[in-house]
Formats: sequence, structure tokens, C-alpha cells
Amino acid sequence: MTAGSEEIVVSHLTKHYKQLRAVDDLSFTVHSGRVTGFLGPNGAGKTTTLRMLLGLVTPSGGTATFGGVRYNDLDQPIRHVGAVLEASSAHKGRTGLNHLRMICTAAGLPWQAADEALAKVGLTPAAKRKFKGYSLGMKQRLGIAAALLGNPRVLILDEPANGLDPEGIRWMRDLLKALAAEGRTVLVSSHLLGEMQQLADDVVIIAAGRLVRQGPVGEVLGSMAGMTQVRVRTPQVEALTAALSARNATVTPLPDGALLVTGLDAAAVGHTAFTSSVELHELAGERADLEQVFLQLTAGKAGIR
Amino acid sequence: MNLVKSELFKIRSTSTWWILGLVTFVLWALTLLINWAGSSINSSPESTEGLTAEQAEQVRVANEAVNVASNLYTSGQFFGVLMVMLLAAIVVTNEFFHQTATTTFLVTPRRQSVVLAKLIASTLLGLTFWLITTVLNLIFVPFILDALNVGSQLGEPAIWRALGLNALAYALWAILGVGAGVLIRSQIAATITLSTVYVIGYFGATTIFFILGPRLGDWFSKLQVLVPPLASQLMVSGTELPGNPPRWVGAVVLIGYAVVAGGLGTWLMKRRDIA
Repeated sequence: MTAGSEEIVVSHLTKHYKQLRAVDDLSFTVHSGRVTGFLGPNGAGKTTTLRMLLGLVTPSGGTATFGGVRYNDLDQPIRHVGAVLEASSAHKGRTGLNHLRMICTAAGLPWQAADEALAKVGLTPAAKRKFKGYSLGMKQRLGIAAALLGNPRVLILDEPANGLDPEGIRWMRDLLKALAAEGRTVLVSSHLLGEMQQLADDVVIIAAGRLVRQGPVGEVLGSMAGMTQVRVRTPQVEALTAALSARNATVTPLPDGALLVTGLDAAAVGHTAFTSSVELHELAGERADLEQVFLQLTAGKAGIR
Repeated sequence: MNLVKSELFKIRSTSTWWILGLVTFVLWALTLLINWAGSSINSSPESTEGLTAEQAEQVRVANEAVNVASNLYTSGQFFGVLMVMLLAAIVVTNEFFHQTATTTFLVTPRRQSVVLAKLIASTLLGLTFWLITTVLNLIFVPFILDALNVGSQLGEPAIWRALGLNALAYALWAILGVGAGVLIRSQIAATITLSTVYVIGYFGATTIFFILGPRLGDWFSKLQVLVPPLASQLMVSGTELPGNPPRWVGAVVLIGYAVVAGGLGTWLMKRRDIA
């Protein structure tokens, strides 16, 4: 695999268990040099998709490749792809350092890589402590250290923010952004949308095992412009409501006396008020955030399957 | 090779091996004392009362000095191979119990290589257990034999053959353990099932064959060798015992079980989803 060709290409990936289609004809592409958020409600098939990507779960159909090569066909895969799947995936009685050394030995990497990776995630002081004494945040850091051992060009993380405190989340965000800035491909799954909005450059949204939307964060948000909401406050509630309704906008009174307008952007609402000679005390366009977009897009598709 | 080193490091970097090693040591010491107490050279005829002629003959041959000696020199086998089997099973079940299977298979997607490395590492571990108990036996047994008024018997080739076949038994039980670990992925279930089946299976089978053997005839008694712990005991008997199949049959039976367990384990591990 040559540098610059570490795109992840998922093509018609499918996994069904007896009755359930956990992942259903899923196709998307993850570009290098960017952080891609892999979003979906719980049970949407995110983890199954990632595990198929990494050769741990055999797909019922379709393929997933790194620079055109399936994970299981990569030569020394951890030098190409680093993955963090479960926070609690180390032997409880083994020290953090020995956990990494064990991976180094199996992969033919020098033990020095273990010390370096621990330093990179700030775990050096806990190197000789047993895994059972680690906090959830430390376990996540150890998982990331393990993923970085082979200095891979691609990183895949499944819900890395789980169990992290705000400081830890910030640390993770900075680290992943820095790794992407070095030209690496970073794919992060999450159901925590606020976090993705700050972290991701691109998003892939799935629900019920199917692709819902994929693209740069701004574009996906932009596609929801029709959902833009405007908050206005006026002493002439009835006059403004009538004027806006005449332009097919929906007006909802809010408990604090303001009005929530959907169907028009802030400029159009201001213009309508102006031409109708209505006095405004407040006018604010509320940009649809990823959370709202997400709920809109996945509405009715989540639930227990 | 890296994989075998990694598997050995996995065993070395946790405490299970020395805990089971300590248990093995204590059980070895107990077994040696019991074997000593139960040993008598060329026993007197009254102890064969109530036995069929053939069973009496078995007892007589078993009490020949060389056979008593080979029994003593392989002391600790019964529990030793049980511990080796448990350790080997844990080498596999650990991966699922602590969810390290994901990491292991990410590093090495070729799962048959991982299973093979586990088989090799466990075999080496089994041989280590054998080596330690054998060295201990070689140190202490001559004193016991001396107390029984016979020589060390170390000049007898039968003793060395028994020691060698004992090594093979340890190795084969390690392979059985790995196979069993794949079949029963739950750590606790594997440990309890294997110990129970081993111990109860042994005494149960011995009893059944002792009672039914004389009634159903020779062919039935010969089936004893199909019970794995009996097969490994047959392997370490000094000379051929009357009414028992030759020692190599014991080896063949155990190899058969090991091949089935190892093969089935690899096949299952290859096709299972790691979730």
C-alpha cells in the first residue's frame, strides 16, 4: 500500500443474522487527511460495520478495503490500520506496558514502540500498573496507544469518547485532529453528536443498517437549510403571525413570548416584518445543528430491531 | 515464531501460570507420598483375594519392582496433565474473557496461525511442567525405592521409556486443552467442565470397567484405553501389563483426541465472528 492511497472504501457491505439485517447494502468512502464521523443511533450497525472493515466479522456480502486491499490481506496490518474497539480489551492482571509489549512481540515491532506509544497518550506513569487498576479514561488511552503502535496511516475508533471526562474528550479531539492533519485517515464512530460537530470534517450517517447521508459536515447541515428556524420577538404578535403565514411559514409561539418561525430564513423574516410595518425586538436565525439534522434523518429508523 | 513468543509472553505476564504451577507442585508432593504408601514390591497373595485370576496377575506384574518404579518416577502425572490442560484452555478462554481476541486477531488476521501459536506455546508449557516434575521425581524417588529395599531402577530402559511417554502425555494434554478452550469459550465453564470431566470421568470409568470388565469380557476391558486419563496412565506403565493394550495404543488414542480437538478448534476459530 503506497502513501496517499489509504482511502477506506465500503462497497455494498451487508451482514445479516438470521432474521436481522444488521448492515444492509452499505456503501461509503472515507478520505485521508480528514476526520470522518460515523454516526448512527445505538443499534444502527456501526460496530458491526467497523468489525467487518477489520476482518473480525465476516460480511454476508460486499467488500471493505483500505487503499484497495482487504484488511485480512494487508501485510502486517497494524502498520497500516490502527483500531480502538472496546475500552476494556486487555487482561485485567497484565500491566499496561506488558499489554503493548505483547502486541509488539506478535507484530514483530521493537518493545521500544510500546514505551513511545505510552508516552504519546500520557500513560507512562501508569505503565507498570495492572489494567484492572485503570480508570475508564486510562483504558481508552491504552487502547489508543495500542492503535498507534505500528504508526498506521489509518485509524478507526469505535465510540472513543465513551467514559471520558470533558478534559479527556478535548485531549482526544486534539489528538485525532492532529493525526488527520498529518494526512492520516481517521474514522470515528459515535452517537454523541455534539462531539462530532466539533471534531469531524466529514460525516457518514447510518440508521437501521442503511446509509442515510454522507458528506462534509457543512454540506450535510446545509442540506437541512429548509429546516432553518428563526426566533423573533415582537409586540405585534398577531400582525407578524398573519404576515408570515401568508408567506407559507410556520409560526409557533414559545413559552417566553417569542415566536419560532420555520420555513423562512432570518433575512426573509426581517423583510416580511419590515414590509408589514411590524416592530421587531429580537431576530435570530437558529442554525440547525447536527443533533437536529441527525434526529430528523434517523427519525423512525432507530428503535429496537 | 513471533506469535509463539507473544503467546509465551502472554502466559508469563499474568499470574495464572505460577498459581497453577504451585497447585501442581503441592499435588505432585501429595501424589508422590500416596504412591509411596501404596507401593509394595512383589506383594503378598492375600491382597489379591476377591479378584479374578487375570486381575490378580495384573496386580502381580504391577508390583514388580520396575513397574512400581516407573509409577513412582511418573508421579504427579494425574494432576499435572490436568493443570496443563487447564492452563492451555485458559490460554484460549482468556482471549474471550478479557476481550483480547479482538486485539489478537487485529494483529494477526490469519487465525489459524494464532491457534497454531497457542498450540505450540501450550505444548512448551506442558513440557516445562513435565520437566520440573520429572527432575523432582528423579531426585526423590531413588530414596523411596531405597526405603522399599530396591535399587533406583534407573538402569532399566522401561523407566526411561515411561518418562519419555510421560512427556508426550503432557504435550498431548496441552493440545487437548487448547481444543477444549475453543469449544468452551467461557473461562469458568471451561475450567469447571474440564476438571469435573477429568476427575469424575477417570474414577467413574475406572469403576465401570472394574465392575463390568470381568462380566462383558476382554474386549470391553480393552476399551478402557479410550478414556483419555486412562490412556495417558497406560502410556507410563513400565512394562506391558497383562490384559491391557500395548502402551503405544494409549499414545495413539491421545494423539487422536488431540488432533480432533486441535483441528476442530482451529476450524471453529477461523469461521467465528469476533464480536
